[in-house]
Amino acid sequence: MAKDLTLIFILALPLIGFAINGVFGKKLPKVLVGGLATAAVFLAFLLALTLFNGLEGVQIVRLFEILHYDNFQINASFQIDALSVWMTLIITGIGSLIHLFSMGYMSHDEGYHKFFTYLNLFIFSMLLLVLGSNYFVLFFGWEGVGMCSYLLIGFHYNDAEKGIANSLAARKAFIMNRIGDAGLLLGLFMLIGQFGSLEYLEIGKMLQSNPALQGGAMFFITLCLFIAATGKSAQIPLFTWLPDAMAGPTPVSALIHAATMVTAGIYLTVRSNFLFELAPLTQNIILYVGLATTLVAAFMALRQNDIKKVLAYSTVSQLGLMFVALGFGTYTVALFHVTTHAFFKALLFLGSGSVIHGMHEEQDIRKMGGLAKLMPITHFTFLIGTMAIAGIPFLSGFYSKDEILAQALHHNPVVYVVLVLAVTLTAIYMFRLYFLTFHGTFRGTDALKAKVHESGLSMTLPLMVLAVLSVFGGLLNLPGLFFHGAAHWFDHYLSNGTFGLSSVHNAHLDFNTAMGLMIFASFIAIIVGFWAFRNYAQKGALAKSDEQMNAWETLSAKKLYIDEIYNAIFVQPLLKISQFLATVFDVQILRNGVYALADSILNTATQTRKWQNGFLSSYLFWMVLGLILFVSYYILKLTVWH
Amino acid sequence: MALIILLPLAFSLLAWFMPSSLSRIVGLIGSGLALVWSVVQLCSFDPEATQHLDLGLRFVRFSLDSLGFTMVLLTNAVIFLIYLANFQRSIVKETRFTALTFLMQFGLIGVFTSSTILGFYIFWELTLLPVFLILYWFGTFEKQKALLQFFLYTLLGSLAMLLSVIGLMHYTGDQTYEALLAADLSQLGNTGILLMGGFLLAFAVKIPLFPFHTWQAETYTNAPTAGTMLLSALMLKMALFGLIKWVLPIFAGPAVDFWRWPIIVLGLIGIIYGAVVAIKQQDLKTLFAYASLSHLGLITAGIMLGDVATTKTAMLQIVNHSIVALGLFLAAGIIEQRLRTREIAALGGIAKVAPRFAFWFAVLTFVSLSVPFTAGFIGEFFLLKSLFSAHALTGILASSTLILGAVYMLRAYQDTMFGPTKIAVFADLHWSEWTVFAILSIAAIYLGLAPQCLTDFVGHSLLQLKP
Repeated sequence: MAKDLTLIFILALPLIGFAINGVFGKKLPKVLVGGLATAAVFLAFLLALTLFNGLEGVQIVRLFEILHYDNFQINASFQIDALSVWMTLIITGIGSLIHLFSMGYMSHDEGYHKFFTYLNLFIFSMLLLVLGSNYFVLFFGWEGVGMCSYLLIGFHYNDAEKGIANSLAARKAFIMNRIGDAGLLLGLFMLIGQFGSLEYLEIGKMLQSNPALQGGAMFFITLCLFIAATGKSAQIPLFTWLPDAMAGPTPVSALIHAATMVTAGIYLTVRSNFLFELAPLTQNIILYVGLATTLVAAFMALRQNDIKKVLAYSTVSQLGLMFVALGFGTYTVALFHVTTHAFFKALLFLGSGSVIHGMHEEQDIRKMGGLAKLMPITHFTFLIGTMAIAGIPFLSGFYSKDEILAQALHHNPVVYVVLVLAVTLTAIYMFRLYFLTFHGTFRGTDALKAKVHESGLSMTLPLMVLAVLSVFGGLLNLPGLFFHGAAHWFDHYLSNGTFGLSSVHNAHLDFNTAMGLMIFASFIAIIVGFWAFRNYAQKGALAKSDEQMNAWETLSAKKLYIDEIYNAIFVQPLLKISQFLATVFDVQILRNGVYALADSILNTATQTRKWQNGFLSSYLFWMVLGLILFVSYYILKLTVWH
Repeated sequence: MALIILLPLAFSLLAWFMPSSLSRIVGLIGSGLALVWSVVQLCSFDPEATQHLDLGLRFVRFSLDSLGFTMVLLTNAVIFLIYLANFQRSIVKETRFTALTFLMQFGLIGVFTSSTILGFYIFWELTLLPVFLILYWFGTFEKQKALLQFFLYTLLGSLAMLLSVIGLMHYTGDQTYEALLAADLSQLGNTGILLMGGFLLAFAVKIPLFPFHTWQAETYTNAPTAGTMLLSALMLKMALFGLIKWVLPIFAGPAVDFWRWPIIVLGLIGIIYGAVVAIKQQDLKTLFAYASLSHLGLITAGIMLGDVATTKTAMLQIVNHSIVALGLFLAAGIIEQRLRTREIAALGGIAKVAPRFAFWFAVLTFVSLSVPFTAGFIGEFFLLKSLFSAHALTGILASSTLILGAVYMLRAYQDTMFGPTKIAVFADLHWSEWTVFAILSIAAIYLGLAPQCLTDFVGHSLLQLKP
């Protein structure tokens, strides 16, 4: 099949699934609805594999013109290159696993068909985002995934207990994302102003051939793009929506809020590498925002007791780590972590989903414990996910995280020290989560314990596949000191096939330093693992209630009171202003001013006219007639003039 | 072409003399016929040529270009949808309503097809009569003050425009569109600025622009749903049309340069002010009225920039606004009809009892939020882009509509549809209602995917307007 046709099918499949399930889903049997949605995404994955196999250079597929505006045109056109195909593989690959998982997870839900409809629409939007060959198509998908995210976070808006909280979380996510979107919009406007085009390749080539275009505008453009990234990828200051987004069903958290959508900001930065390379100041901002986010979020994760909230803060923290890599200009390193993170974080989220499903919607880890025996597959795969993210040697997370640490040491030792701290915290909260959930004694009621069960195959199969990927994902980009020949496959793959990346080089440390770093990192992860085992699994250290926590624990559990601070600084003032304008300014000043004027006119009228009959409206009616007569008079007069 | 103009007038006259049992059928058939006829005409219409029509009247002549045709199509479609949307309401069973709505349609089409400035003015004033009577006969009991306010504002605007029309005819000695376009008004100096100001005042009231908007919320809330739809989806578009077709080309030069930025600033204030005020509104209709203020501020600001490309996308946004206004006010009307209240605080949980309504209301909410796949996505993007290119800070401030729009629309939707069910009975959509929602959604999505068909079409006459 020709490549452009393949690409069209990749995009069309989820859209077809969306359309069929959206229109007929209610009447179709559940297996068919879920099967169709899953098959659509899986087929797209297979097609993406053929693209991956036949990848050569950059290919543009132009479908149609959306609008031509002045002298530049906006096309629905797409780009097949190493980066876009890789993202497509992640989205459709992880996506189909999560679709499969959802078939089991959502099986009792009355909104089953609606769920798969939204999920397919999300996949379609996400594919638009990564496959577009220009910023407009990206923006199209960017807004689209935001909408799907809103629909899916608030999916259970009718829930008796949590319905309102769910829909508020969805609203918060949408609005905070829109703040970032406004940044993207302005960035795009500046790009149009500067280059007269939104095509990646055209802009990139213009920059290469015409150094005069490189000036200070680059800083503002990249800053706006980064603002957009902070919204979608939950970085400081726009990160508070992501933990709340856990209100959505767990497969949604895995797909949208861990593996794919939240990495859109990283994709945008990698895609725009040729712009960011010309804006060192923005790169520094990215570096420090990412660094602060990774540390702050890791700290917040320490004392969360909702199994999904821990993972949510962990996601924010890991995304921060990726932005640190982007701040150094090491794009392939960031994308390598995007990939491994997609594996193990999807695994962890789905694992938590399996736990929640088995625990009959209980999410508080204080009420869990000892689940290892009750849910063996979930337990084993979750353990692998935990080890991968904590950086236990030879699992995928170990390699990708080590790459970032190595770049940090090369560029800036202070950043390295902070990162080590964040990585240590990561290991601490992850092992705490793992041991509290799966080891020790069961802390829930006996009635609940009797009902806890391992999930069905449609849920455990994706877990197993993701576990395998989480173990071996590191092989994609082995460091040079292990296998010289096969090393850095991923770096080469991306650099050779993505515009701009071939001129960017990652730092390579000498053998001794690299080895030392790895041993040090492994050491931390293993020590923390043992400590957590003794502390949580054996001693069962755990605060039963919020009152028992000390100051720093409360600070962590309350997320540094960021939500409260935002509420006081932004939300309340806006509401107050709105209230003032709506009730005082608009009504009392503007409207009553007009009334006063009207009254004075009417008073004159009542005094001078005896035939006032008390009906204001009939009076007005005569005024209209009067006006018409007045107009007619002028018309006649004018026609006589002519 | 004569039929396009005269068909609504004929039906209006007919409607006065028919029994009320036929009212809604005649309404639907008449507006349907007008719509079909204009679509048939569209097939043989050459967008690059202007058709002229002389009915033998001395002071009113007609012409139809692609810009006017777009507005005529919009008018006919909206009127048809208004009849359809209200099909199961008592208002369409009133012959007076049917007659007045056809009269309104006649007036609007007259505005959009007049090729003399006097004709433009006469039809402009003619539309006031049916609107006023619809509000008067079918509005709610608090209407008197609201009507008075509406009337005072409009009167003020109309008088100003009348003076300008007379002045224009006096100075140029002619009143046909072509002659006015050819006349060099730049030598009029301050008089030209003043004449244009008269038109702008009338338009600012009608659109409305901040601070001339206070009649809007009150009139919308007191009008029957069908009246609100007429006002917001069609009547205010006369002013935008007047700007594009008449005022900006005729006064091109110092007068336009003088007024451009003051009006853009008023539009910008409207964008932010309308959105902020909408956040805390308690009444659904008022909320949508302020949302409309915000959306129209952006459109007006874009039109005032005056270049062809921006005006094309402004036209897209004009159509989109009609879709949104029809949909949202229909939703508010449905809630009001079923529950006798529009207070957001008194509503909640409707989604549970009326899932079909919840779905379509959600679609229209997203259309209003300009999400991808809808016309607003393209329109808003390019209007903001033009503002940003013209003046960066203006563009940045205007972009806040993206954020604030989400705040008030999601609040309006979620607080009425989600949450604990506060109501017991809520009849889900009647076929006539969901058909309207479906047509509106399809139109918005079609224009979102193929905006070119509209922008290219109007582009032909916009290029000719360019001085």
